[in-house]
Parts: sequence; structure tokens; C-alpha cells
Amino acid sequence: MTTIATDTKTAAAVQAPARTSCLLAEFENPAQLLHAAEVIRDKGYRYWDCHTPFPVHGLDQAMGVQRTILPVLVFFAGAAGCTTGLLLQLFTNSFGFTIWAMVWVTGYPFLISGKPALSIPAFIPVMFELTILFSALSTVGLMLLMNHLPRHHHPLFTSDRFRRASDDRFFISIEARDPRFYRSKTEADLKAAGAVAVEAVNEED
Amino acid sequence: MAHDHHHAPDLSAGNLTGHKLGAHSRNLGIAAVALLAVGAWLGYRSGDAGHFARAYLVAMVFGFAICLGGLFFVTVQHLTRAGWSVVVRRPAEALAQNLRWMWILFLPIAWMGWKGTLVDLYPWADLAVLASVSEAEAKLVANKAGFLNQKFFFVRAAIYLAVWAGLGAFFWGASTRQDRTGEVAITETQRKWAGPAMILFGLSTTFASFDWIMSLSPAWFSTMFGVYFFALCATCGLSVMTLVLLRLQRDGQLRGIVTPEHYQDLGKMLFAFGIVFWAYIAFSQFMLIWYGNLPEETAWYLPRQVGGWLWLSWALLFGHFVFPFVFLISRWPKRWPSTLAVGCAWMLLFGFLDVFYLVMPHIPHDLGEYATYGEFAAKHASDSTHLADPALLCMTAGVLLLVLSGTARALKGQSLLALRDPSLGESLAFQNM
Repeated sequence: MTTIATDTKTAAAVQAPARTSCLLAEFENPAQLLHAAEVIRDKGYRYWDCHTPFPVHGLDQAMGVQRTILPVLVFFAGAAGCTTGLLLQLFTNSFGFTIWAMVWVTGYPFLISGKPALSIPAFIPVMFELTILFSALSTVGLMLLMNHLPRHHHPLFTSDRFRRASDDRFFISIEARDPRFYRSKTEADLKAAGAVAVEAVNEED
Repeated sequence: MAHDHHHAPDLSAGNLTGHKLGAHSRNLGIAAVALLAVGAWLGYRSGDAGHFARAYLVAMVFGFAICLGGLFFVTVQHLTRAGWSVVVRRPAEALAQNLRWMWILFLPIAWMGWKGTLVDLYPWADLAVLASVSEAEAKLVANKAGFLNQKFFFVRAAIYLAVWAGLGAFFWGASTRQDRTGEVAITETQRKWAGPAMILFGLSTTFASFDWIMSLSPAWFSTMFGVYFFALCATCGLSVMTLVLLRLQRDGQLRGIVTPEHYQDLGKMLFAFGIVFWAYIAFSQFMLIWYGNLPEETAWYLPRQVGGWLWLSWALLFGHFVFPFVFLISRWPKRWPSTLAVGCAWMLLFGFLDVFYLVMPHIPHDLGEYATYGEFAAKHASDSTHLADPALLCMTAGVLLLVLSGTARALKGQSLLALRDPSLGESLAFQNM
């Protein structure tokens, strides 16, 4: 059974015409890319991206990329960390206060250098550290999440031309799922925007 | 902003030479001298030599903090080979070059030493006088006599003042010379010497803060005090240099050259050093002393936590950290000149209050008579900070205006930016990612 199913799938893949994943346009320098990005932005494409060997200043504006809301989310994550640090210590150092967490848990006040059990100055380092920890982890975590990362592969990596994106060429890719994507029209748009070459990149199985 | 890379900035002389600086320098200078004279007269008339001397010390330290902050900015830019800051570096250099003449501000203290009245300001200067007030403290301080004696104190002060004057003159001279010659080698030299300069800066400011501020309470010590003073310098220096830049642009200079991108980074530095780092250091110092709870250490905090000083302590916590933290954390307040100006003026005000908080309180000699903090606080509940002391306020404003006048005077006839720095292009095109 297993063998047959696999065979069928392979056969289908061989026979079906390859679906286009995106169109890849090549540019020779950042100036060309910036200009093309402005053109593509103004055409109203939504699912597209630029690929450059190094950061290009002004590309965000040229692409019309909105500012990320990541900092706002991180602010709240930091505030949550600070609160967690405070509540954790208030609870663990307090008398006669129990909560149910699988079993009944109660605080364990511990006398340290004669300070009151609930002393804010002593709590601040932990609150500070948890603020930093939550902020840092949520920055990295949310960044990955919002970028749909990690992913193991991308159809663009099948293109030999695309290898130069990490060396000396600049690329724009427009995805086939974009509502404005029409193979011929999009290719013409990219050419009109100054692409020195345009190629179709196929979906993989 | 989207098309900044499309047009070249205006580098013509009209945009780069301050045409109002001459008038600013003269007016500020006249006001400064008048205020200093009025302040000194009021202080002298008050008849309290100790209070007068401390009030003058507040003004002097505030002035040095501003210019040392400028020196720090210049040094750290060369040390890190920063490209973004070239267009904003000149005002910082102009602040730092004031250190060439600011040794004059130390002369009143030198005069006190010469006259033999330094003990009015520093209790360690005459152990016999100290012993008559507090036998125990005099015994403790006597152990420090190898360091805290008048001769060595003035030798050290001369070294700090010479180091600062030298560093201020070095960076100012090199940078303005490059305006004329355009030699790239000058930038190389500045970068090469930025490392040793930073070490000298760190040691000199640390020990100056020990000598001039910490030794006001000679039995007390905090190894963190130098770093605290550095945070104070960064707060005042970055605030003033940003305000100078904003003012120059309001006067019609540096148009299209200093952009919100640069302001945002200056705001970030003020946020990092002046707000967060200051709070970090201030709290670390407090917490260690609070936790250890040793009488000779907590004694420094006790007079600052009673009466009016308690209010000032809370004001510093909220005014120097919490409020500006919330205000400047976002991107737009750092990029919009009006909000950034409010933030800088606010931080400068709290920089001054911080100096006031460090210098003015006395450790009372009746500390030993109380069993608990509560008793002590109740007895001293009516202690006043005397913040509204006209002599102190006049002298502080006078020193501030003197520094601004010196800055304007130095910038007059110079380009307002390091015109031929090899990284100028990078700085002009700078954008935050």
C-alpha cells in the first residue's frame, strides 16, 4: 500500500505542469533596485520582497513597508516581565497566602539581613532581570513568528541566478499568490521597472 | 524623508557659519558675568561661608559636567570610528574646548586653600576642626590623610584640569585644523588617541568626583561614585549639545544637514546614558548600601531621606528616570525637535538637581543619638533643601551661561560641522534602520 501511494504521488508530480512560485527579477545595483521597488510598490503589489547582499538605506520607504509593531509588543512583554518578577517575589516571600497550582502552594518568607519580608528595593534586581529576559526573548520570538521563520527551504533557493543575492546582485521577487499577479503582465512590469533579467521560479513538492 | 537620498544637502557657507553666534556669545557672556557677580555678592552677604562655598561648588560642578559630557561624546565617537555623528560633533567639540579656560572656575576653591579656609567646604581639610564637631569621624578621616590632604588635593585638581584642558584643546584643534587642511591623517590621529583619551577621561572624572564631591562627607565612600558622576556628565553634556544644535537650526543654520535621524540617535544616547544608565547606577549604589546597612555607609543617605530632601529624592527618581523614560522611549519624541528640546531641557534641569542633591546635604552630627530611622526622620522632618537660594541659583545660571557663551564664541567664525571629515558623506546620508 505504502509503495503504491508513493508511486502515485511521484507520478503526479512528474506529470503535472510545474506551478509558478514567483517571478524573480535581477538588478545590477542598489539605485536600480530602489527605483524598481518604488515602481512595484506603486503598482499595488502586496506579496513581494527585495533581496540584497547588504542593507540598502531607503529600501523600506521605497518598498512602502509599514513600521513594525514589534517594539510595542516588546514593551508589553517587558511590562509583563516586570510584573511577573514583582508578583513572584511578593508571593514567595509572603505569609499566609496560598494559591492552587496542582497542589496548594504557600509563600516561604525568609529573613535576610533583618529586612522586611516584602522589601521593594530587594525585589528590583529580579524585576529588572525579568523585564530584560521577557523583552529579549519576545523580541527574538516575535520577530521569528512575524517573519514566518524558521522555515527550512524556499523555492527561491532552487534558482542558480538567486545565489548572487548574497554576492553582487539585487533582486525583486513577486509571489504568484499576489492578487495582482499575472504571469505576463507582472513580467512586463518588472522589465519596465528596469530588470536586467526576469525568470520564473517554480513551486517545489 | 522618503527622498532624502535624492538631493544633496546645502553645504554653502551661509548654512554652516552661525551668523548670530557673535551676538549670542556677547549677550550670554554679559548675562553670565552679571549673574555670577550677583550670586557671589548674595552668597557673601549671607555670612555662611560653608553654605556659600557649597553653593558655588554646585555651580562649578554643573558647568564641568556639561563640558565633560561634550568631551565624552567626542571621544567615544572617535573611539568607535562612528560615521553617523560627524555633522553633530562640532557643538560637542565646542563644549569640550571650554575646558581650556574652565580651570578659572576652580580658582575660588584654590583661593580658599591658600587662605586656609578650605575646611569651610571640606571637613577633612582641618582634622582639629572636624574633631571638635565629631571625634569619631575625625578618627576615621585621619586614616585617609595620605590621600585627603590639601597639598595632594590641589596637585590632583591641577592634573584633572590640565588633562581636561589638554583633551578639549586636542580634539578642538585637530578638528578645526582639518576644516582648513582637509588632511585625512588628522582623523586617524584623533581615532588613535581616542583610546588613551578615554582612559584619561575615565580616571580624571572618577577621581575628580571623589575629590570634589564625595569628600564633602569624608568618612563616607562609594566605589560607584565616579560612574555616577560620569552618568551625570553624560546627562548634562548630551542635553546641552542637543539643545545647541536645535538652537542653531532654529537660527537658520545646518538646514537639511542635521536631520531627525541624527536627533533620534542623540535622543537614544541621552535615553541610554542620562536616563537608564543613571538610574541603574544610582539604584545599584543605593541598594548595596541599603542591603549592607552599615552605619558609616547609610549615613550618606539618611540626611537625603528626611524633610525636604526626601521630596528631592523622590523627584529625582521620577523626574530623572520614570517620566523621561516613558517620554523618550518612543521613536517620535526623539525625532521631533519640540519634544526633544523639552526632553533635553528637562534632563538638564534634573542634572542640576542631581548635582544639588550630591553636594548640598550635610551628614548631621547627631546621628548617633537616635535608635531608629523613624526617630531621626521625625526630628529632621522640617529640614529644608533651601533649593530656592538665590545665590546658588544665580551662580549656577551664571556658570551655565558662561559655558554657553564660551561655546558660541568658539563656534563663531568656524564651520558648524566638521566639513572635511572623511566620514561626512556617511553622516549626511545617515538613516536609522
